[in-house]
Amino acid sequence: MTALLDLKEIRTGYGAGPDILHGISLTVEAGRSYCIIGPNGAGKSTLLKLVCGILKPRSGEVLSNGNSVGGLRPDQLLALGISYVPQERTVFPTMTVRENLYMGAYSVEDKDLVEERMDRVLTLFPILDERRSQIAGTLSGGEQQMVTLGRALMVDPKLMMIDEPSLGLAPQVADQIFGTIRQLSQSDTTILLVEQNAQRGLESVDWGIVLDLGAKSFEGPAEGILDDTRIRELYLGTRVSSRGEVEG
Amino acid sequence: MAETRVEPIHTLDEHEPDGAGRSGQRARRWFLLAVVILIVAVPFFRPWIGAYNYVLQLGMIILMWVTMASSWNILGGFTGYISLGHNVFFGIGGYASGLALAYLGISPFLTAPLAGLISMVLGVLIGLITLRTRGPAFIISTIALLLLTHNLVDNWELSGGAAGLSLPFPPLPVEWLKVPFYYGMALCAFGAVWMAHRISHSKFGLGLRALSQDETKAEVAGINTRLYKVSAYALSAFFIGVAGALFGYSLSYLRPTTFFEIGLAAQMVLMCIIGGRATVAGPVIGAILITTVNEFSVVQFGATALNIVVTGGILLITLLFFPLGIVGSLRESGRLPAILDWD
Amino acid sequence: MNILQVLILGLLLGGVYSLMASGLTLLFGVMRVVNLAHAVFMILAAYIAFYLFDLAEVDPVLTIPVTMPVMFLLGVVIYLLIFPRLETSERYVEMTVLLTFALALIVEGLLTFFFTGIFRSTRPEYGTESFFVGDLFIPKGQLVALGVSLVLLIGLWAFLKVTKTGTAIRATMQNRTAAQLVGVNVRRISAISFGVGMALAGAAGSLLSYLFPFFPSRHWQWVAIMLSLIVLGGLGSLKGAVVGAVTLAIAAAFVTDILGPTWSPVTFFLALFLVLMFRPQGLYGKVVRI
Repeated sequence: MTALLDLKEIRTGYGAGPDILHGISLTVEAGRSYCIIGPNGAGKSTLLKLVCGILKPRSGEVLSNGNSVGGLRPDQLLALGISYVPQERTVFPTMTVRENLYMGAYSVEDKDLVEERMDRVLTLFPILDERRSQIAGTLSGGEQQMVTLGRALMVDPKLMMIDEPSLGLAPQVADQIFGTIRQLSQSDTTILLVEQNAQRGLESVDWGIVLDLGAKSFEGPAEGILDDTRIRELYLGTRVSSRGEVEG
Repeated sequence: MAETRVEPIHTLDEHEPDGAGRSGQRARRWFLLAVVILIVAVPFFRPWIGAYNYVLQLGMIILMWVTMASSWNILGGFTGYISLGHNVFFGIGGYASGLALAYLGISPFLTAPLAGLISMVLGVLIGLITLRTRGPAFIISTIALLLLTHNLVDNWELSGGAAGLSLPFPPLPVEWLKVPFYYGMALCAFGAVWMAHRISHSKFGLGLRALSQDETKAEVAGINTRLYKVSAYALSAFFIGVAGALFGYSLSYLRPTTFFEIGLAAQMVLMCIIGGRATVAGPVIGAILITTVNEFSVVQFGATALNIVVTGGILLITLLFFPLGIVGSLRESGRLPAILDWD
Repeated sequence: MNILQVLILGLLLGGVYSLMASGLTLLFGVMRVVNLAHAVFMILAAYIAFYLFDLAEVDPVLTIPVTMPVMFLLGVVIYLLIFPRLETSERYVEMTVLLTFALALIVEGLLTFFFTGIFRSTRPEYGTESFFVGDLFIPKGQLVALGVSLVLLIGLWAFLKVTKTGTAIRATMQNRTAAQLVGVNVRRISAISFGVGMALAGAAGSLLSYLFPFFPSRHWQWVAIMLSLIVLGGLGSLKGAVVGAVTLAIAAAFVTDILGPTWSPVTFFLALFLVLMFRPQGLYGKVVRI
């Protein structure tokens, strides 16, 4: 069975700068939910930007269902069902919540389908339903985050990538967001989450992937990852030498 | 040989090929000395040069553009603030000296340095205001400034408005008329290049380069960016003002379009970009190259409007394909000969 | 002159200034391009109108169906040839300024070469006639220009609000990344926007051909004027472009009345200068460092 997403030995970086990802290989199966964690500078966001087409791979392959999708533009990848919710708030500031959501369905031709999905999104995010005529730029951070999540859902994506959804949000608001993500992870949509808050992130998904310095460190069932001693090494910088002594 | 790691740019020795360190520097010194001697000596070869005045005139023009381009580069190259109206100082210098001659009878050869000083002071005042903006806003403001000044001078009765003002001829026999202007421009050129070189090697220059790459970071690092920027702006105005004073006198006529036409700014920008911004040798090479190409095309095709098409075309191609310019690209690929590495 | 009269003259010209400004600000809003060549292309359109008038007696306003499509195509081609290469450049906006500067020089040179620097003007009948309302006179030519400008501006508004492409353009103007992420092909939209902006310059050029005498090197003055209009209004804001245009047109009318016509351009340059110094985001621009 070919994977939804298959990265083989990917190297990439920004502009003319150095490689951020150093030969990363990763597999994402349809229907599951994943959370990528790792220290700052590990390349988590870079990875997502690569998959959604904002960055192109310098070497290596990106496959989706067996097809090579490495150099495609974001709008082309969207047509294949890969959608991305970036770290920065990317609402359309002078449009209303409704208009923002409709914009999410820009690539969808079937008007009835759009309405159906709109209803679904507004049910998933009752606050957005309440504020549907409000100008998006005037919403709070958490609400704007919901708008971007809702917008991504308007194309009924096969793979939804979410970059640090709780960044800059108050804990209660972040709770709501994670709750929604957990709901989504139980549906058909494959979720690929990047989170700084490792605990909250892993609680919302099935599978965890740990990145460090542009390479995959290890992966495993989300529940077990936090207990793994390798995590402490990674985050706190202590290293266990080959003789079993703690250094650093 | 002690090597100091200097961030964010290259060390002084880094780009010279292995083993050529000391000898490269020596070759460069001899080369520069030879160039200076050659420039100073040219007027003495009178018996061997056919069209003497033409040669000196061409030489003067080349030296003038070397001055202008090198000066522009202090602001546009080292500091990264592109001025598309820098010839405003050319005009200020020209008019300052020209009016002093017309109304007070003082020779521009005496007032030229003063004209440069006036340009510098105005540079400080203008810079204090305009350098509050960055990037494209700054560029637009420089165009606005040029057009505004042009318009004001056009309407100024004292200077004869748009028609201009005729100046008395220099009190010299015709055969030797060009000589003092040639040497005057040569002094400007030496001065401007020397200034650029000194800045490039100084802590000030380092600060400017840091500022041009990331102004916020430079500020945070403790650099007084306002002081640095305004100083760069003022310094870049000085020799352009002096050159303006000399040029106006050499034409014996002051007219607004001579000084304030935007094509002059375009030439300065083009010379620096094609030569290599943020290098000392770049503007010099760019100035010599473009002036000779211009001269050639005027001789071949006449002084038609196609000249600005060529200027624009070369600028376009350089921006798209060779943004680092000649000296910049050579340095990047490690093939810059030591004699051209004046930074 | 009567204050009301000056106000009317200013308002009338505000129409065609709005047309010019809207094209330029659209380009900045969608692609962050400061198009220093906008005015020279406007003058190119004016020359097209001039020769259609001179050789075939076509009314300047009726040249618009020619100048707009021609300029649209020219805009798309120029965009695709030059700008995609810059997309990865670090100092993108600065580079666009320099590039369009070079482009302006090239076109100016070509125009001078082919058409020389003689002052040109088309002369439709309404160009010199006026309506009289009591003590006031309303120049027909400028009224026509206002009418045409309004029609085109309303058309632009409708295009942006109603059509799918127009919506995509609006989205790209608001947040380029977000537009990409919802499936907008931003390169295609950028090319189309460049075309639309140039088409608006084309229409303005047709009107310009009888409103003001023109010659190739005049474009620098127009570019500075247009920049002052959009900088005052706020770069990237269409509403701002119109407000800025009308405001400065009225201001310039008063300056002309009090100090004379040679001082009129100074109004714009001074305004540009002052806005950049003290409120660079203009009236409706986002407080973003451009």
